[in-house]
Amino acid sequence: MSNRTIPRLLQTPAVILLLIWMLVPLSLTLYFSFIRYVLNSLRRPEWTTPSFSNWRGFGNYEFVLNSKDFLFAIQNSLLIVGSILFGTVILGVLIAVLINKAFPGRGIVRVLLISPFFVMPAVNAVLWINMILDPVLGLQGIAVGGLNNMIDGLQNAPLVGWFFSLWPEFEPISFRATQTSAYAVIIMVTWQWTPFAVLIFMTSLQSEDEQQKEAAILDGASAWSQFRFLTLPHLGRPIAIVVMIQAIFHLSLYAEIEIVSRGNGNKNLPYLIGEFANNNIGAASATGIFAVILANIVAIFLLRMVGKTLME
Amino acid sequence: MAIVAETSRFSKTGRPILAWIVGLIFFFPIFWLVLTSFKTDADAVKPEHLIFFTPTLENYLNMTENYDYWRFAQNSVITSVFATIFALVVGIPCAYAMAFNPTRATKDVLMWMLSTKMLPAAAVLYPMTFITKSVGLFDTHFMVIVVLCLINLPIVIWMLFTYFKEIPKDIIEAAQMDGVNTWGEVREILIPLAWGGIVSTALLCFIFCWNEAYWTVRLTTTEAATLSKLIEGNRAPEGLFFGRLSAVSAAAVGPIVVLGWFCQKQLVQGLTFGAVK
Repeated sequence: MSNRTIPRLLQTPAVILLLIWMLVPLSLTLYFSFIRYVLNSLRRPEWTTPSFSNWRGFGNYEFVLNSKDFLFAIQNSLLIVGSILFGTVILGVLIAVLINKAFPGRGIVRVLLISPFFVMPAVNAVLWINMILDPVLGLQGIAVGGLNNMIDGLQNAPLVGWFFSLWPEFEPISFRATQTSAYAVIIMVTWQWTPFAVLIFMTSLQSEDEQQKEAAILDGASAWSQFRFLTLPHLGRPIAIVVMIQAIFHLSLYAEIEIVSRGNGNKNLPYLIGEFANNNIGAASATGIFAVILANIVAIFLLRMVGKTLME
Repeated sequence: MAIVAETSRFSKTGRPILAWIVGLIFFFPIFWLVLTSFKTDADAVKPEHLIFFTPTLENYLNMTENYDYWRFAQNSVITSVFATIFALVVGIPCAYAMAFNPTRATKDVLMWMLSTKMLPAAAVLYPMTFITKSVGLFDTHFMVIVVLCLINLPIVIWMLFTYFKEIPKDIIEAAQMDGVNTWGEVREILIPLAWGGIVSTALLCFIFCWNEAYWTVRLTTTEAATLSKLIEGNRAPEGLFFGRLSAVSAAAVGPIVVLGWFCQKQLVQGLTFGAVK
């Protein structure tokens, strides 16, 4: 065998497996998105088996685009992803800069900080929505109750009592409700992914040009201008990568949304697909194609960036 | 660095204190989960037992009875271990060929592999259910292993590739001169030299498999259900079972969080595909 044959043979299994994994389900999705296909129909039993004779053209796409859940799911996806990105990047940069210098116990602080990232999503959601955010039994409920009791007590205090009697009774927030469930997801995912941002920014900060920094300090540059003109530009690329990787992961959030409110008032595209897939496979598939398009927009930018460093 | 002495007072005392506070805040939910797991279900929801309570192991001792924990844990171990092994078996030869015999197409193949990772899982949800059900593999260990292996294969190949690239080519060429065959190269040179990289790739792949929460939930019902499915199925106890739910959750994440402490560095490489150094 020639020099080229063996390397090619070694790559073949991986390439074929991934090719099947990518092409077969996706072709089926594409096919289902153009036919009428439902799981249960008493009126039209012929729609319950996939067949080209049930061709619907772009009908499923029209149906999806016209359903009010679709627009909501897109908006809500963007709200969730956008808020998480905003939170994790800001917190990530601040924390990375904070722990970039040596201090006693830095190793332990790093371990504490990174831990949330390894918690499985289902546990993350169960932990936050029950033990922490529950309006009655969680820490939030207990804290708000305690605060109210304290204010009640202080109202009878001499001298300052009148001041505390002006205070309102605080209401705990129910994070399972329609309007707030998205915020619960944002909070828990931000908690989980900030460590990821910190870790990446820290790795990047370690390659920062120390000499440049020393020169800046000798020139009398303030801490802020060092951060603004040296550190932040240095972090530009890692920030872009963190944003794109997270966007891809968070566009397909599922477990957290399911656990917090079963999608009540808080759907994203994957969740909407899951709901359609309970019966209307055609619509679920059309929504899936939209999700692929959305993810591709992000992926193209990310791949370009990664590709540049690949062969260095 | 010694030239520039730290002068500001913040750097000396403020920074460590603030850093510790931030670290403790981030760790607090996990600490709280573990703390609650030692409370009885009744104590867990009583404000007066928030911090002071009589610790009990009953939640951990009754995990089998309450949740059938060990069956789900066994499924998680089996599926994650085998998915990792398969990913390595397929990934090592592939990354080896790409690192030591790169062609013009290598870069494109790597990028394409990565792009499969970016396909939203939900888009192929029904086809996957349809396929697995029609070949009778729905809710089987085999199917979960295959899916976990495939979703992590791009990251595995990518990480192995970056490790293998660091090995000097001369060593391999010298071996080829001596007439060592390909299998010999892999066994005698590649695996010993890249052992550290292979182990960290395996650990990271194992963590990702363990925490996976879409396919393991959607493609299983009981037989092959993993810990993600178990926790997801007991999502809303409405305060009744905080103690026992905390115990089973802590048991589900504990080993992985500890394992994660050991592969922080590899995590950066694995998740950014080598784009952040």
